[in-house]
Amino acid sequence: MNAEELAGTIQEALEEGRTAAAPEALEAIRVKYLGRKGLLPRVMKGLKDADPSERAQLGKLANQLKQELGKLLGARKQELSGASGADAANFDYTLPGQWRQLGTRHPISRVIEDTAEIFARLGFTVAEGPDVETGYRNFEALNTPPHHPSLDAQDTFWLESGELLRTQTSPVQIRVMETQPPPVRVITPGRCYRRDTTDATHSANFHQIEGLYVDKCVSLADLKGTMAYFARELMGPSVGVRFRPHFFPFTEPSVECDFSCHVCGGKGCSVCKHSGWIEIAGAGMVDPRVFKRVGYDPAGVTGYAFGMGVERIAMVKYGIKDIRMLYDNDVRFLKQFK
Amino acid sequence: MKLPVSWLADYVDFDLSPEEVAEKLTFSGTEVESIDVIGGDYEGIVVGEILRIDPHPSADRLQLCLVSDGSRELPVVCGAMNFEIGDKAPLAVVGVELPGGMKIKKARIRGEESEGMLCAEDELGLSDDHTGIMLLPREIKTGTPFSEVIGPPETVLNLEVTWNRSDCLSIIGMARELAALLRTDLKIPTPEISESEARTSDGISVTIDAEDLCPRYAARLLDNVQLAPSPMWMQRRLSLCGVRPINNIVDVTNYVMLECGHPLHAFDYALVGDKKIIVRRAVDGESIATLDGQDRPITGETLLIADARHPVAIAGVMGGAGSEIGENTASVLLESAAFDPASIRRTSSQLGLSTESSHRFERGVDPEGVEWASNRAASLMAQLGGGDVAAGIVDVYPGCPGERKVVVRFDSTRRLLGADISDDCMVDILNSLCLTVTSRDESSCTVLVPTFRRDIEIEADLIEEIVRVYGVAQINESVPVSHVVPGASDMPFQMAKACRADLVGLGLSETMNYSFVSAQLLDSCCKYDADSRVVLPNPVSAEHAVMRNSLVPQMVETLGRNLSRQIQETAFFEMGKVFLKKESGEIHEEDRLCMGFMGPLGRTCLDKRRPIDKEEPFLWLKGAIEALILAKGQGQVESVAVEHPYYEAGSSVSVSIGGCKAGFMGLLREDIRRKWRMQTPVAIGELALDTVVLARNAVPELTQISMYPSISRDVAMVVPESATHEDITRIMRDSAPAELTAIELFDIFRTEGLGQGKKSLAYSLEFRSLDRNLTDEDANKYHETIKAALKKELGAEIRDS
Repeated sequence: MNAEELAGTIQEALEEGRTAAAPEALEAIRVKYLGRKGLLPRVMKGLKDADPSERAQLGKLANQLKQELGKLLGARKQELSGASGADAANFDYTLPGQWRQLGTRHPISRVIEDTAEIFARLGFTVAEGPDVETGYRNFEALNTPPHHPSLDAQDTFWLESGELLRTQTSPVQIRVMETQPPPVRVITPGRCYRRDTTDATHSANFHQIEGLYVDKCVSLADLKGTMAYFARELMGPSVGVRFRPHFFPFTEPSVECDFSCHVCGGKGCSVCKHSGWIEIAGAGMVDPRVFKRVGYDPAGVTGYAFGMGVERIAMVKYGIKDIRMLYDNDVRFLKQFK
Repeated sequence: MKLPVSWLADYVDFDLSPEEVAEKLTFSGTEVESIDVIGGDYEGIVVGEILRIDPHPSADRLQLCLVSDGSRELPVVCGAMNFEIGDKAPLAVVGVELPGGMKIKKARIRGEESEGMLCAEDELGLSDDHTGIMLLPREIKTGTPFSEVIGPPETVLNLEVTWNRSDCLSIIGMARELAALLRTDLKIPTPEISESEARTSDGISVTIDAEDLCPRYAARLLDNVQLAPSPMWMQRRLSLCGVRPINNIVDVTNYVMLECGHPLHAFDYALVGDKKIIVRRAVDGESIATLDGQDRPITGETLLIADARHPVAIAGVMGGAGSEIGENTASVLLESAAFDPASIRRTSSQLGLSTESSHRFERGVDPEGVEWASNRAASLMAQLGGGDVAAGIVDVYPGCPGERKVVVRFDSTRRLLGADISDDCMVDILNSLCLTVTSRDESSCTVLVPTFRRDIEIEADLIEEIVRVYGVAQINESVPVSHVVPGASDMPFQMAKACRADLVGLGLSETMNYSFVSAQLLDSCCKYDADSRVVLPNPVSAEHAVMRNSLVPQMVETLGRNLSRQIQETAFFEMGKVFLKKESGEIHEEDRLCMGFMGPLGRTCLDKRRPIDKEEPFLWLKGAIEALILAKGQGQVESVAVEHPYYEAGSSVSVSIGGCKAGFMGLLREDIRRKWRMQTPVAIGELALDTVVLARNAVPELTQISMYPSISRDVAMVVPESATHEDITRIMRDSAPAELTAIELFDIFRTEGLGQGKKSLAYSLEFRSLDRNLTDEDANKYHETIKAALKKELGAEIRDS
């Protein structure tokens, strides 16, 4: 065996020593390399026949083998002695882990918190208001024409007190503007009520998130940019938006905002009903008549507002087929929202 | 609204596919929800003539017909009854495939040979009408291919017209939109009428008694009309728009309504009493039989069209049966009017009766359009029904809309849109929409608003018109810029969010329930709070009739529902509002946090089968509440025994946080639990969310930690059952010096040896000084002092370790 080979063998021996998992294995390594009939005595015996030019080198290596391997085996023996024998063999690491598992946030809370978080980065804070509202703040202040169908007892829960259960979270925007001068940047999540008969896509009790931004020079281009940012942050980086003109009483111009389908990437699938687009939000530039009602100067400020259904977003984002699942509270459903 | 593309082409020239038209309309504000192709090539289907009808020998609901296809006569078994000998109908012979995919085969139906099929409209894909076979005008030659009769397939766009755009509820209205988008001309036909010598004003008088509800009423008369089915082209157009053809007179009123958006009504002139039309409010107690065969009681605010004696129509909603156009009608009174939208809406919703007419009137029709609609209808009626149109219109017009001008500023528009649209482009767009620019200077222009666009009131309305035609897509998105609004804060939301996160961390899953519940559910938990409940006057169902006054009943329901699905172990929380009616009638809303524990939650998986002791779920929940609050908060969570209707007697406490009342927790009453088949004790707590989150929001007050080692001593004692952990720890603290730094309970047991009414508790005490090493002697001294105090104050019997 020449010096080069011996050096390689020493490395192998050390590697075996490092990876051995039981005291028995360590002993076998000791016998193989350091024992009476092992490698070391053989090398020592061969020294005298070795090429004189290599002799010193071989002697040095033999010493290294003795020292290093001996030390390593000693240390490893100590390590392995702690969990030796029968105890070690009986430990079943496949037993179920024992610590309380985390609970889960409701999907509606997730959407609301995620949305608030995204808009918080743009300087929006959350504003909240009561579910029981006045007809004034829910309709009139928002420029709803007096014979608009939404005012019907057919569609709205009017209460004995003459108040109503808000049909949208927009009255919170009115409350904010009534109490605070511009600029305004708020997100208003909350529960709303409409006299819909419950089915797979309707619920008489639902949630909305609205946003309002009022400042000296807010434009439709800003609204478009903000919605595009929101869409990407909420649904994924490749999601785009498009806008269709629409009508809402308290914005002018008004638009509806569609997100490109996050499932198929716009190619068309069952989630987007094969259109590639999903209707998500209504939005627009705040009608000057609304500003006038809350005491803002319509000549001095402009603003945009938008609103969307939380249940709808949750259903689209998580692939929930029936809105009633959200209020059924089956733990097998809830536990999936980790 | 349904928009047949070929009809649209009558009024505007375009070289676009239906899909391209749909795209243009959708992105200018009228969403096309779907595109339908109606009809087919109808190969092999011909006009058949029914030559003979015999009853089917073995089926009451079938008839045996002998039908000619123009070249031969074939037997056809038919299930419809709406025809007689000589009628003509589409005939599909053996071998023909219908649009729905059905193939006609030679068949024996109940023993009788049938070699073809007489088709209904739905079988031809023309409508969903299956009330009988489709009858065709008898003058069409037998054997004519059906495709020649019905024409080529038609494309129909289904539109969602927004609420403000009543002018778009018509073919011409949509043509105006498309013309503006294409910057091309709108072609509106001019009605041509040759009037007879008879004068309308001799035949009818019109009085408007309710001018506030009827700004205009115009009447025309036609004599010598020949009632007949209208021609196929008109029937086809009506069907494409979802309107059923009836006869040439009624069809014309519907056709013109679809065409220009102005609803019309035709009366049988002979049945209008005293040649008088009076537009008036109803008198209480009046009623009218409407065209749909129903007798309808009418209340005071309803606007009626009446003759000298009776109401003849519910204005704008539906005509009366008493003056209906029928077989014997020879002269027609044609109504063209405008009504107050709010009044029509009220009536329509009161009667639960929505018609094509009320749909348009309640959104507002143009009083200026009354005359064109009347003339157009009279001209078509004369053309189709051969009638003589009496000269002139009796036109009462008390509510002429004034001229409206609105100014739009170019710079403001550019600023609001964030787009660089030129002045010329804006003017061009406005003009193309018939929003005529009457004057302009370098900064603004003035628009004369046409009467059919009453929705346009202010500058913002015109800006909307500009941008929807310009294209929202043409506006570049700006990169959002973050701005902090000075003084804005959303601490309550953020605190609740953090609280939710900690509850999740504690292993609870969040539920969400409706704000309304059934009275029954509330009663099952507590019958005595009815006064404080907010009851909905108009609930959707009894299940959702009362606003919840607590989150607990729905928590019980939720646990019970899960249990019924074999889920034995759950820890839930809900954060939500409750609604309480005060004595004053005022409604108070409060945010609450409810927690519900069911099953062996606090046990490890190897220890879940052991029966659950009553104390356990209570203490698990108590532990979770303490963890939630103490993790972030200062101050103590205190529990005081109280009785509460939701909970078992002696098993509930009121919870205070830092001296502030927060709510209650306890073990759910056993009879409620049994109703939901819950075998094991269930712990539920409900706290005021504000109190919880505020307590959690305290800034931590740090205490110095000692660097000296601790010494521990155990105390085991036998005390009466009445002695509580709280008593014991209080005595320990009170008697010990500040060096007592921790007290930990590590054992409780009860044995017969201890005696009735006694228990043994064992505590581990930790002593540590801030400024020195404690000695064993120090610890022994403290230990003895504590033991002595326990003996003295509780009569505790100290057990030697």
